[in-house]
Amino acid sequence: MRRKSRPPRISTMGSLLWPWLCAGSVALSLLMLLTLLTLLATRGLGHFWPATLEEITLHSGETVIGQPVREAPLPNTQGMERLYFTGNRDVDGASWRWVAVDDIAQQAAPNDIVRLERTPWGDFIGRLVAVESAGQRLEGQAAWAFIDSALALPEGQRPDAQLQLTAANGQAVTQPLASITLFQTPNAMSWGQKVATWSQRIWQFLSEGPRAANTGGGVWPAIFGTVLMVILMSVIVTPFGVLAAIYLNEIAHQNRLTHLVRIGVRNLAGVPSIVYGVFGLGVFVYGIGGSIDSWFFDDALPSPTFGTGGLLWASLTLALLTLPVVIVATEEGLARIPDAQREGAVALGATRLEMLTRVVLPMATPAMLTGVILAVARAAGEVAPLMLVGVAKLAPQMPVDGEFPYLHLERKFMHLGYHLFDTAFHGEDVQAAIPLVFATALLLVLIVLALNLTAIFLRHYLRRQRGNEC
Amino acid sequence: MGSFGDVRLFLLCHAFLYDVDMIPPRLPLSRQPLRLLQDRIATGLITAGGIGVLLAILAIGVFLIWETLPLLALSNTFSLATLSPMAWGTLKAALAAMLFATPLALGAAMYSALFMSKRLRIRVKPILELMEAIPGVVVGFIAGLLLAPWVERHLASTLMIIVWLPLSAALAGCLWYVASARLRQWLPLSWAGVWLIPWLALMAALALWLAPLIEQTMFGGDLRRLLDQQYGLDYATRNALIVGIAMGFAIIPSIYSLAEDALADVPANLMEGAQALGASRWQALWKVALPTAGPGVFSAVMIGAGRAVGETMIVLMASGNTSLLSASPFEGLRSLSASIAIELPEASPGGLTYHLLIFAALALFLFTFFVNTLAEVVRQRLRRRYQRLGGNR
Repeated sequence: MRRKSRPPRISTMGSLLWPWLCAGSVALSLLMLLTLLTLLATRGLGHFWPATLEEITLHSGETVIGQPVREAPLPNTQGMERLYFTGNRDVDGASWRWVAVDDIAQQAAPNDIVRLERTPWGDFIGRLVAVESAGQRLEGQAAWAFIDSALALPEGQRPDAQLQLTAANGQAVTQPLASITLFQTPNAMSWGQKVATWSQRIWQFLSEGPRAANTGGGVWPAIFGTVLMVILMSVIVTPFGVLAAIYLNEIAHQNRLTHLVRIGVRNLAGVPSIVYGVFGLGVFVYGIGGSIDSWFFDDALPSPTFGTGGLLWASLTLALLTLPVVIVATEEGLARIPDAQREGAVALGATRLEMLTRVVLPMATPAMLTGVILAVARAAGEVAPLMLVGVAKLAPQMPVDGEFPYLHLERKFMHLGYHLFDTAFHGEDVQAAIPLVFATALLLVLIVLALNLTAIFLRHYLRRQRGNEC
Repeated sequence: MGSFGDVRLFLLCHAFLYDVDMIPPRLPLSRQPLRLLQDRIATGLITAGGIGVLLAILAIGVFLIWETLPLLALSNTFSLATLSPMAWGTLKAALAAMLFATPLALGAAMYSALFMSKRLRIRVKPILELMEAIPGVVVGFIAGLLLAPWVERHLASTLMIIVWLPLSAALAGCLWYVASARLRQWLPLSWAGVWLIPWLALMAALALWLAPLIEQTMFGGDLRRLLDQQYGLDYATRNALIVGIAMGFAIIPSIYSLAEDALADVPANLMEGAQALGASRWQALWKVALPTAGPGVFSAVMIGAGRAVGETMIVLMASGNTSLLSASPFEGLRSLSASIAIELPEASPGGLTYHLLIFAALALFLFTFFVNTLAEVVRQRLRRRYQRLGGNR
């Protein structure tokens, strides 16, 4: 039999091309995800890289020193303009400068340009002239050597000294050594030094508190607040979720009502998180918190103690929010255990409690763990309900400290997600804060993805193990 | 069987010879009631705890309704009208997101359920499902601070990419059919989900390069001014288009995951039967798999809609939060969830705003609960249908 190939008819043309459109949508979704993650990774980590500082001379004779950030076409006329980060907010009043590319007469990257991170005014970019310490004035190599040795010491032991600096426009600036957190000469650095500085700055980001209206410093209080809140939440949600799952699956009679309840619980996972926030605010904060205040803390009224958002209420709200996740996951684990195991245990004379604690629960542990990890992942990324029940843009006190009772459940706390939202949308200098916002977003995504991946692998491992047993 | 017999025989002999008691020692009778009591108490506690938890969940609905009741007493019906721009904004945002996400997610589901190679599928599916885990606040931040200003500057390019990318996927298909057999073998359709990524990136770059030229020749160089003058459309930086793209990105995985499950579980004998009668793969999918899995696909879309209506952070950050009653995709909006997040912390408890916002929360709760229940019921029906049709699960 011979087959003749005919050109496809118009109606079949469609059915030949549709699969390609479908393939295109998979590719497009993956492309979007890839773009998002690449964007977060490059912008989030790139900020900490010691970038080359350029010294440019304009046709008007003015000198500008700064880090080139991006270029954009000039409005109305031809040509491009470039944005420089120039720092020196105390000297110039602004730390950004747009320069038309055609205006630049000369461009260089001299090795002696320094970049300081300082506590009150943010970054300084300029040149080092001299160091004054204990009545002595050091210049040139001696000054550099002095700064290197002084900054190598821990913060408390650094000598008292004043740095004499000049900004790009020639203005002299005196900076006490104690106010400096980072001193670098990026143009003179080798690759190894740059990598070292890079990792040092990432560590600072993870371990320090925010400075300069969230445009500098780190996110340690936000990490701490998030982790503490999530731990409290899992302590609350795990027993209750497991209890409810055991009740539904092992004790309640399996009838129409349990069926309905199961559907209801499953659907609560789809209820918007903000609704839980409203419930938390109305019941926990105003209802229970208000009553606690009027019973125990009436001497402090009208300023509320528990009657305002705080760590405890936030954890409780998120526990309620993630309860369906834990219940559903645990129930799946329980339903997967063959009835023969239960019957075997009972046939050997175990009571129901013994059967549950010695046979069923150990077998369902990985499923419960999966549920709790998924709950933690969901809670770590959730921001909307927290805005109602106790997150703060800048918490003055950490929720854990040396004062009795050590863990202060009524205090407000900082949260990575809310920190991100607040810095990006309510900051004073959003332009300067954006790199840090990217870093925060990257951190948040990494935490959530890592938790989810753990849950996926755990579930995978569980299925394989169960497969071997059966 | 023999080895078991041997073991048993051995044990029996062992017990007989060495006088080992095979039966575990019985507990003294005095401890039996204690065990039973423990069991009773534990069962009671578990029951109480379980019912307590379920009641706590029920309490959410009760609380929302209870706090809405005073609204009836205060009862100026006009106050409800203040919510209508937000309700409209919610619907507009959800509609924009669904318009963006539904075709993408369903296309992806159809491809990965029926065309994709099995080896690729077990990798791609978890990756797409992980997309769901990306926090809304991150997506909202990217959309509000990066995407929105970029789209404002490159409106024509954006619109062109939206039109051009589907066309370029079809173009890839056309080129594939005329390509040589070796190239076709090297780039099969079953792996197209991956190797189309660089192609699409290339095509997007091409569109970006061409867009200014097209804008120059067809729209006189500035599409936004043209829209403003010809149709009176204002352009806000953060608008429904941005919300649609950002929230669409966020709900793609939930639609995709459920729709893919429904399509992949269609009993294989149905598809094989259709193909044996001469249908192409696409025809089998369109005429057999889709009608069979229709309810599952429908419930996936419903769940996506439920998520789009309730999503807070993305709308809050990408929409500009201007409460307008306009249908233009280039103007801002304000959704119910966003106004709850902004206004409720400041509203004094017991005031009119407080009750109104709680009413908004109740509306969201009822809507999502209703939609999800519908989707769940439909899905359970579907599962029973598959069992009847002799599915493999």
